[in-house]
Parts: sequence; C-alpha cells; structure tokens
Amino acid sequence: MVGYVARRLALAVGTVLAAALISFLLAHATDTSPGAVRLGVNGTPERVAALNEQLGWNRPLYEQFGDYLGGLVRGDLGTSLIDGRSIAADLAARVPVTASMALFATVLSGIVGVVLGVTAAVRGGRIARLITTGSGIALSLPAFWVGILLVYVLSLRLGWLPATGYVPFATDPAAWFRSLLLPVLTLGIGGAAVIARTAGAGMREALAQEHIRTLRAMGTPEWRVRYVHALRYASLPVAAVLGIQFIALFGGSVIIENLFALPGLGQAGQIAAAASDSPALTGVVIVATVVVVVINLLLDLVVAILDPKVRSA
Amino acid sequence: MSLLPPDESDAVVTEPAPPVHQRRGLPYFLRRPGGLFGASWLLFMLVASLSAPLWRPYNPAQQDTANRLALPSGDHWLGTDPLGRDLLSRIFTAGTEPLVASALTVLVAFTLGLAMALLAAEHGPRVERVTSRLADVAMSLPGVIILLAVIGAIGVRIFVVMSILGALISASVYRVMLGVAKSVRQRLYVDAARVNGLGSLRVNLVHVLPSMGTIIAVQAAQLYAIGLLIVSGLAFLGFGPSEPQPSWGFMIQDASRYVFTSPWLMVPTGLVLALTVVAANELADAIASRGSVASPVRRRKRPPVRTPAPGTTGAAATDPTSLLEVRDLHVGVEDGPALVTGASFDLQPGRVLGLVGESGCGKTMTARALLGLLPDGVSVSGGSIHWQGRDLVGCQERELTAVRGRGIALISQEPMVALDPMFSVAYQLVQPIRRFRGVGKAEARRIAAELLRQVGIVDGARVLKSYPHQLSGGMAQRVCIALALTGQPELLIADEPTTALDVTVQAEILGLLRTLVTDTGLAIIIVSHDLGVVADICDDVRVMYAGQIVESGTTAAVLDDPAHPYTMALLGANPHVPEGEPVPARLASIPGTVPPPGSWPTGCRFATRCQFVQEACTTPFPAVPAHGVGTAERSGTVLCVRVDEIHDEGVRWGAEPVGAEVAPAEGRPADDPAPNAGAAR
Repeated sequence: MVGYVARRLALAVGTVLAAALISFLLAHATDTSPGAVRLGVNGTPERVAALNEQLGWNRPLYEQFGDYLGGLVRGDLGTSLIDGRSIAADLAARVPVTASMALFATVLSGIVGVVLGVTAAVRGGRIARLITTGSGIALSLPAFWVGILLVYVLSLRLGWLPATGYVPFATDPAAWFRSLLLPVLTLGIGGAAVIARTAGAGMREALAQEHIRTLRAMGTPEWRVRYVHALRYASLPVAAVLGIQFIALFGGSVIIENLFALPGLGQAGQIAAAASDSPALTGVVIVATVVVVVINLLLDLVVAILDPKVRSA
Repeated sequence: MSLLPPDESDAVVTEPAPPVHQRRGLPYFLRRPGGLFGASWLLFMLVASLSAPLWRPYNPAQQDTANRLALPSGDHWLGTDPLGRDLLSRIFTAGTEPLVASALTVLVAFTLGLAMALLAAEHGPRVERVTSRLADVAMSLPGVIILLAVIGAIGVRIFVVMSILGALISASVYRVMLGVAKSVRQRLYVDAARVNGLGSLRVNLVHVLPSMGTIIAVQAAQLYAIGLLIVSGLAFLGFGPSEPQPSWGFMIQDASRYVFTSPWLMVPTGLVLALTVVAANELADAIASRGSVASPVRRRKRPPVRTPAPGTTGAAATDPTSLLEVRDLHVGVEDGPALVTGASFDLQPGRVLGLVGESGCGKTMTARALLGLLPDGVSVSGGSIHWQGRDLVGCQERELTAVRGRGIALISQEPMVALDPMFSVAYQLVQPIRRFRGVGKAEARRIAAELLRQVGIVDGARVLKSYPHQLSGGMAQRVCIALALTGQPELLIADEPTTALDVTVQAEILGLLRTLVTDTGLAIIIVSHDLGVVADICDDVRVMYAGQIVESGTTAAVLDDPAHPYTMALLGANPHVPEGEPVPARLASIPGTVPPPGSWPTGCRFATRCQFVQEACTTPFPAVPAHGVGTAERSGTVLCVRVDEIHDEGVRWGAEPVGAEVAPAEGRPADDPAPNAGAAR
C-alpha cells in the first residue's frame, strides 16, 4: 500500500515536471520572442532586443528553467506578456470554474455510465444492443456540436437554462449551478457513453468469472451476486477509466468553455495561445496538469481501497 | 472529446485473435452493418473531399449576399452560410484537411508507439520500466492544453500540431501493443524462429507484427476518430485554416453564433463531422468483433422446457433410499447439438460416485445440470433428476436456488479463481452461514472458524482475515470445501477438485473428502479425468464417452475388469501403476480425439477410435449388463455390442507405436485436460 502510493506520488511529480519542461521548451522553440510579443507592432528590433535581454531571454536555457522551477515552488508563475497581470492570481480564479465543471461531468458520466453499462450487462438482449449502439454514437459526437444542440433545445426552445455566461459561486450558488449545468451535460454525454462501455464490459467479464458461479452454486440471491459481488469486481476498471476520463474532460473543457463563455483555464489557454503569450501558456499547462494529477492521485487511492491486492501489497 | 480511447485501451484483449479461416467474399468486419457503414462512409468522405474541386457546384469562397443563411434549395442543396456561401461546397472542400491530418496523427502514434512497444518487449524489463514510465507520464498530461501551448509557440501549423498529438497518443498505443507483443513473443513459434537464426527485426516483422494486425486496426480506427474530433475542436477555437478557407470546426463555431436565428446552419456540418467520427468508431467496433460474440446472450429467466427425448419418459423415483436418481438425462445446446444423451445413475447417502472420461465427453455438463447451472444457451432437454423425491428438471429458478448450497453444493476445478478476489475469506464464509443457518455475525464467525478446522486448516484466524490471492492452491481448495459445507449439504459435486493442484496436495484433498464422507455421511459426485482419483476415493464409477455413459459399475469391478474398450483404453493410458506390478514398457494411447457434439457416429460413438471396431458397431444397440449379476444397483452395464467377444476373451487394449500416441490438440477445450495427456507426460 505504502509502496503503491509512493509510486503514484512519484509519477504525479514526474508528470508535473514533464509538463513544465515541455511547455518551457515550447516557449523557446517559437520563432518570436517575449520582447516582440510584449511590444507588439510598436517594437523596433532594438527595443525588442533590449527587452529580451532585460527579461533574461538570452541566458542559458538550464538557468532559465531552474529559475522557472524555483518560482513554481514559490507559487510564482510570472506575469503575462500582454497585460502584465500575475499569471498565478489569474489562474487561481479560473481553476475552480474548469475543475468544478470537469469534476461534475466526471461524476455525472460515472453515475449514468455505470447504471447504463450494468443494465446492458445484466439485462442483455435488445436493451443491451440499444445501450451499446447508443453509447457508440454518443461517444463519437463532437462535444462542441452537442453543446450547440443542447443550447438550442434546453435554452432557446424550452427556456430551462441560461445559454451562456458564468455566475460565481459566491454571488449566487443557485445561479452558479444553473450556469454550469449545460456545459456539464455537454461534457457528460460523451463521458457517460465511455463509462457505459467500460462498465458494461467489466460487468460482463465479472459475471463470467468462476467465483460468480461459485456464488450461484451456493444459492446466493441473484441481487447479491450482481450488485455486491460482480459490481465490486467491475468497479476496478471503471475507476481506472474515470481517471482517464477526467483528463479527457479537462482537455475537452477548453472547447466547451469557449462555447459557453466560461472564464476557466481553457479560455485562458485559448487567449494565450492566440496571443503567443508564452508565460501564460506555460502557467495554464502546469496548473491544468497539477489539477489532473491530483484528481488521478485521489482515484488511485480509491482503487487502492477497492482492490485487496493493492491494499495488502 | 477524449484524448485516449479509454475503454478499449483497457478492454482490448491483449491476446491476439486466433487466425480465422478466410472465407471468400467480404472481409468479416464488412459483414456487420456497422463495419459496412463505417468503411463505406469513410471511403465516400475521402473520395468526395479529395475530388471536391472537380465537382463542387460553387467556389467555397463565393459569396451570395442576397441568399444568406438560406435553407436547402435546388440551388444550394444544403443551404448557405452567413455570407451566402454554399454549404455543400464548403463542407466537402473542408473535408480533406481533417481526414488527412487525423491520418497523420494515427501514423505518428503507431510509428512511435509500436517501435517503443517492440523495443520494450525485445529488451526486457529494464528498458520496459523506462518506456512504461514515460508512457504513464504522457498519458497523464492534458493533451488538448499541451496542443494549445504548441500552437502558441509555432502558430497554426496543423500538420505539425497533429503530429505532436500523435506523439502524445503513442503512449496509449504503446500500452496496448506492449501487452500484445509480450504475449506473442512468448509463443513457441517466435522462439522457434529465433532458434532458426532470424534476426530480431525480422522476427518482429515476420512473426510479431502480423499477429497484432487486428488490434492495430481497431486502435487505429479509434485514434482516427479522436484525431477528427480534436482537429475540428481546434478549428472551432479558431486554430484552423484561416478564412475564407472553410473548416468544419469553424463552420460549427459560425453556426453557434447564429443558433438563435438560423438553427439549420449547425445541422449539415455537424452531421457530416459526427457521421465521420461515428463511422471510424463503428469500423473499430466491427474489426474488434472478430472472435467475440456478436451480442451478449440474455440470461435465461424461464425454466428450461421439459421435452422428453424421443422414446423415453421421465421415470418416477423408484428407490426411496436414493438421495439422487438421474434418469435418461439429456442436455443440449438450445437449437443445437446434444451434449449429453441418456445418462442415468443413482446415488445413496454416504457414497462417492465418479464420472470419468476425456474432456468433451459431457461429464461436467452432467454434473452442472444437477445444480441447474448450465452455461447460457445450454439446457436440459429431457429426462429427470430426482432429488429427495422431487424432480429438479423444470423447477423454477427460485426452487433450484433453495436446493443449491443447502442440498447440493459444488466445489470447482480452479480453487484460485473460485473465491471472490475482492472479499476476505471471513466475509465469504460468514455471509452464507448467516443465510443458511440464520445466526448472528459473531456466531457465524465462530462457525466459519470451526469449518476451517474441519477442513484441516490449522491457523484459521489468519486464513479468515486473508484474501484469496494470499492463499495457496491447496489452502484455497480447503476454503472452497469449507464454503461448500456452510449449508450442510447432503451432496457435494466436485468438478475436477484436484486437477489444478500439486500431487502431494491432491492426496491431502482427497483424504479430506474421504474423511468428510465417513464422518458426516455426505455423498459426493467426483468429475475427473484421472482414474487414479477414481480408484482412490470412488465407490461407483460411470465412464462417459461422447455424451453417453458407456460403462457403469462399482469402482472395483470396472477398474479391475473393464468391459468396454474405451475403459480399457483409459486404463491402458493411465500412467499409475498398481503396487507390485511391473511398469509397462510402453503406455497405450487412444488414437484421435473425442468427436465434437453434433458429429457423433450412429451406433457406437467410440467406433471411430476403437481397436476392435467391426461392422456391427455402426448400428444402434442397447446397453447390456456386465460385471456379473447382483442387485440392480451393484451390477453394472456396458454399452458395447461386442462385449462378449472382447471382454470374455480377455483381449487387452494394445499399446501404439511411440510417436502416434499424442493426439492432436485442436478442438479440445483448453480448460479441461484430456485423460490421455498422462501418456505424454
């Protein structure tokens, strides 16, 4: 158990370092420079060169990366090249938006997906085919297109939910929840389809296990066979996929935030990418990676609690 | 929008699909509607997009301000966009980039992922540790956000961006392929190729890669779908071809701005994109369907229909002292071949009955029929199973559930997988004890410890706290026996109870079963291919061949003086030598294999493999009494038309020349070793 957690923790730290290194190297692979980006059209080559020198752009890469990591440990992500804001402060305000959206979407897809998958595996026949086909289509639909369809139906036609915009939790919790519902639904449909497939396959595999036959041969009530023993067995692959799913939903949120005008991490990433604001982009990559890694660590702990083989190792 | 194919990357079997005989005509995946749709839609999109400049009705940039946001019409089949540009022309002009860029992603992902997987499989655990850690890291990165950083650095060079996506995705390719590569490499023919001096690259190219074909195709189609979603998603964010160049993502972005006034605008582009992604995923599913069942079979709720086999009737129970009376039992695949025909036997309390024969002879099906636990699609098609005077055939599931565990219990072949790996031994014992005996938790725990003592486990307290993976095979089988005893059953069905265990442990388990019989009066049915086990513990024996009981009688009578050629052959192939007898110079064997259900010969089913076959063996005949006279129970029968000539003349089953003794392995269920495997050992 301790060894397992230590390995997971090491992987988490390694992943964050890799994200920092990749985005740092990308920032230096560009054919522009921070001076040119900050000065924009006003920058003469001399002024750009002077500013680059002042920003330390010409120092050896390892020095710059070392400095960057030092700042990272202190929680300092530098300032934006566009407007000079503190990137850490800006992203700190954005993380809750994206994280709550991705988390709700993961939970929603987990619940709906497990119910559908288990139903398909247990009932079989036409219902199973319907769920399998439906989830196959649902996981193929582009989320940004599904989002527009949902806006059209739920906001414009039925008027149930606000189409776009974000209300902070502190302002009005109920309005905050309503403002997140459409994005969460949009992300959740594809996610639920993926989980439904995993849960269905896991449950079918579980029900075919030898120990399930032992239970049936002992006259164990069928509900207990299915929903205590088989479901517990199928919970491991589902938990593993939920972690991957959270990563995917977090990435997908970039596009969804644009569609619903949500002030999240993804929106910051899009703005920074369009403006070649490399410090801001690096910050977005690192913060996003940290969130993803932390959630996956928590899920690893869940797996460790669920799986006796890991627990006793 | 997922970066990884989340379910399949775990669910894809790491075992490569067995080679399937190519039939003429369409490849297997095109015979499924999903596969046919997927392949033809992708082909259509590719051709239509690449050739769009040749046939499109309008220039994609040509504006028609009088005709903005038009609905479909004769002029514009799919309508027009906010600048009056023709949607049909734009959609197919835009198609080339995502279709090609996604293909590039797949290509990069597979080049890197496969190379890494083959490298790791080739160079062993040390290299694998490094590559696997790298893959773990890559899979934990939020891919789309990394792509934004790439775009921020190098601008919207979509083919470079999509290649980098391919590099990120290669981690999931690596994971799946590593599993396949390792299992392929462990196969004998790869070793053989290596011994023959093929270089490592050639081994990979000639032997490893082709076996991965199916899985590569499945994953490639899935990743292609993901690539399409991501390249369109980026264009949706404005990171695509710049205006007036059309792109699917930007056209949908455009549609989102006009959803209030012109909802039609989102339909054509979205549908084309969605259909293309669905097509890729459907193709993947269809390719993956090879070797798997098309759709899960519904678990049968209704009780099996009781249709007595032709010419037979389910006879009523006759002997009041019998615990179990099986009469003329027929088991078969629904709408398919019969698996067991006309099996009859009795069992008295405290007796041990052996069902013996090669795999595929119907022993396990017979045993499982007693519990009503036949596999999906298999059912009892005739005969009767009288348990304490009640016929279990045609019973409601609820009544059978009441008998299971309480009246008849089962211990199975593989003790290591018969226990639930997710629950402790204590939980798995306490739960049925409480149900069967209606006692509280503490009392149930005490009984559980007591049962463990009864099955010869000394440190019961530790075992109770253990999980199945912490137990040895012999210990697990003892726990399984304890579990079977929780309901204080009168009959224990033991399906190959010692096959998976070490020889020394086998003897201990058989000893334990014997003790249970003498101490508690339990009756046992043992299914085994091992005549040694039968000789050790059984009072009576039924030899089964091709779904029939061919010889029956007391163990002593049948083993000492076999009357059926098949029993003689089994004995001749048995490597156990009774004490005091000389070790035979050569073990006998039985040529060929058990004919599969549905292709049994008429007349004697053993005729095709019998050394003594004659003309008379090919016509049906009834069983004849053998093993002397006595009471109806003690005397046996034999199903051989030549029994008088062969048995009474004392002919023995002769040994074959060495080399012909190992029967070909095909067509034999892998989970059930053949009895004559002993001859090859």
